[in-house]
Amino acid sequence: MSIELLIALITGAALFGTGIYGALSQTNLVMIMMGVELILAGAMINLVAFWRYLHPDNPAGQMFVLIIMTVMAIEMAVGFGVAIARFRARGSVEMEEATELKG
Amino acid sequence: MSLIASVILAPLVAAVLILLLRRAAVALALLGASIALLASIALLSDAFSGVTGELLLPGLPGMPLRLIATPLTALLSTLVAIIAGLVLVYAVGYMRQDDEPVRFFATLLLFIAAMQTLVLAGDWVLLLAAWELIGLCSYLLIGFWYRRSGVGSAASRAFLYTRSADLGLYLAAFILIAEAGSSDIATTLNTGGGAAIAAGLLLLVAAMGKSAQTPLHDWLQRAMAGPTPVSALLHSATLVAAGAILLIRTTPMLPAETLLVVGVVGGITTVVTGLIALGERDLKRLLAASTSSQYGLMLVAVGAGVPLAALLHLIAHAAIKSSLFLGAGVFQHGRESTALTKLQGAGRERPRIFLAFALAALALAGIPPLSGFFSKDAIIAATLASPTALLLTPFALAGTLLTGAYMARALRVLWHGDRQQRPIAGLGWMAAGLAGLVTLAVTLGAAFPAIETLLDSTLPVSTLAQVLGLSAALAGLALGWLVPAPRLLGPLLPWARQGFAIAGGFDAWIVRPAFAIARGCERVERGLYAAVLAVGRLGLAIGQAARRSDDRGIDGLIFALVRGMVDLGNRARTLQSGLIHREMAITVVATAVILSVLLATSLFR
Repeated sequence: MSIELLIALITGAALFGTGIYGALSQTNLVMIMMGVELILAGAMINLVAFWRYLHPDNPAGQMFVLIIMTVMAIEMAVGFGVAIARFRARGSVEMEEATELKG
Repeated sequence: MSLIASVILAPLVAAVLILLLRRAAVALALLGASIALLASIALLSDAFSGVTGELLLPGLPGMPLRLIATPLTALLSTLVAIIAGLVLVYAVGYMRQDDEPVRFFATLLLFIAAMQTLVLAGDWVLLLAAWELIGLCSYLLIGFWYRRSGVGSAASRAFLYTRSADLGLYLAAFILIAEAGSSDIATTLNTGGGAAIAAGLLLLVAAMGKSAQTPLHDWLQRAMAGPTPVSALLHSATLVAAGAILLIRTTPMLPAETLLVVGVVGGITTVVTGLIALGERDLKRLLAASTSSQYGLMLVAVGAGVPLAALLHLIAHAAIKSSLFLGAGVFQHGRESTALTKLQGAGRERPRIFLAFALAALALAGIPPLSGFFSKDAIIAATLASPTALLLTPFALAGTLLTGAYMARALRVLWHGDRQQRPIAGLGWMAAGLAGLVTLAVTLGAAFPAIETLLDSTLPVSTLAQVLGLSAALAGLALGWLVPAPRLLGPLLPWARQGFAIAGGFDAWIVRPAFAIARGCERVERGLYAAVLAVGRLGLAIGQAARRSDDRGIDGLIFALVRGMVDLGNRARTLQSGLIHREMAITVVATAVILSVLLATSLFR
């Protein structure tokens, strides 16, 4: 295992942990989504690093990362749409107050 | 042969015309009857000159309807025509105050036409048809005053009695036709053996019904509910005569055994109904019982094997009995009743009518030189000459004695009593008809030798019979005149007044079993009804059970399933908190657990 790969994996794990911490600690919907972005970014760095240093001839890793980016963009669009709609309706995006969906 | 046809068609056409035109009923009736009379007299004169008329009409295949004018049938046809004509003349006066002459005269003419058909019929099919027709017409005529109480039941009773006895004629005709292969009466008379005995007994049953012989005599007295001309016609030459005519015509076929039964039935009838007549309290009912008695005498003559004697008595009786009824009708108009107590002295008011009535009564009793003397003597002589003389002669003599007794009783009642003159409408017509008939009743005896030559048979002659008959008649007249009927009858009186309870016997033998059968049927019917209801109730119960199982079983199952699903949903709902952080924390923890399990498994591989 090369040292570059190790560095990339550690960076990815740090991003993942930061993302989880952010998503769980923040109460604002926008901030939670930022945490989720960081989690996904960590996962993508892992994928890219494994592809680059272990299987550079197999393009599936690249494709997988591109699809995750697309999904992230869509998720952002939907998430911010929900946030704007909620802000317009309730004047707040604090998630501790949003318990209407409770069964 | 148009003469035969015109005898029947003249009254028939007149009846139809009366019904269609609804007016001039009297003139049309008299016209039709006189044409029929002329035609039948022409038939009779043909018969005297040896010509036998015959008319074939298309009927059943191989069995044409046949009308024949033999000396016997031509003679009977003339008799019917004469009596019917004179009774019609009388009826013109009698029915003057009735408001339905159209119906009366039309039915009467139809009746005459049917009787002429019966008399002239040469085959069994036509005879049966005519037999039924006179039964129907007599029902209509007896029930003519159907609005009066008791008339309807009297007519129905007459109809049902004769109808049930008619079955005998049907069976006899079928037996004879099957045996001979032809419906011609003359051909079937050659039948012999067992078929002849059976057919003869069945014919006797039919004749007993129509001629009102014991035990079927009850209807005749009740038939007095009809108008008096109807009674006169029914009792003399038409309905009641049909039975005797049937037996007279079929005598050549009857074996000795059947003849004996015929004679015994006639003998019993003549005594029983003679006693009833003696105990009777109503003039018309007395005459009716006397009719049965006289027809019993005729059956005795048939049983003795001398149908000619029966025929002569039938002819004499037809004239005598119709004049008696016509006289009784005049008295009835005078007193508005036919009860003997109300008629006391009625004869004194109208000596001429009474004279006619008395002449007829004496003729019936058998006093010379009136017609009844000759015919009754012929019957007694016939019984004396027959092989069963010991059995039949006492019956004939007892009948003669009783005839004298009840006629003398009637005469005595009519003569003794107060006079109460009252004018009667139409007396002239009635007297004319009565005069004609009484003349016949008195003088017919002179015609008997001519009839003997016409029919080519002779009567047995016996001085002993004349002496016995005359002494019986005189003794009867003396007894009836001198001794009141209750003392004469003695202990028999209550029996005779009830018609010897034979109507009751009929009741016990036929009506009660019929009612018992009907009750049994009703019980079965009730059982069936209950069973049907039970089946219905069972079906209803099954249906209700099905509904209950549907309600409780299937619906309950489905609703229980639904409730279970709802409960499950409610319970599953509580897992959902709606708090994003809690969901996320659960997700992270669960992911960590899964990852650690995966790592652990890879480590321990």
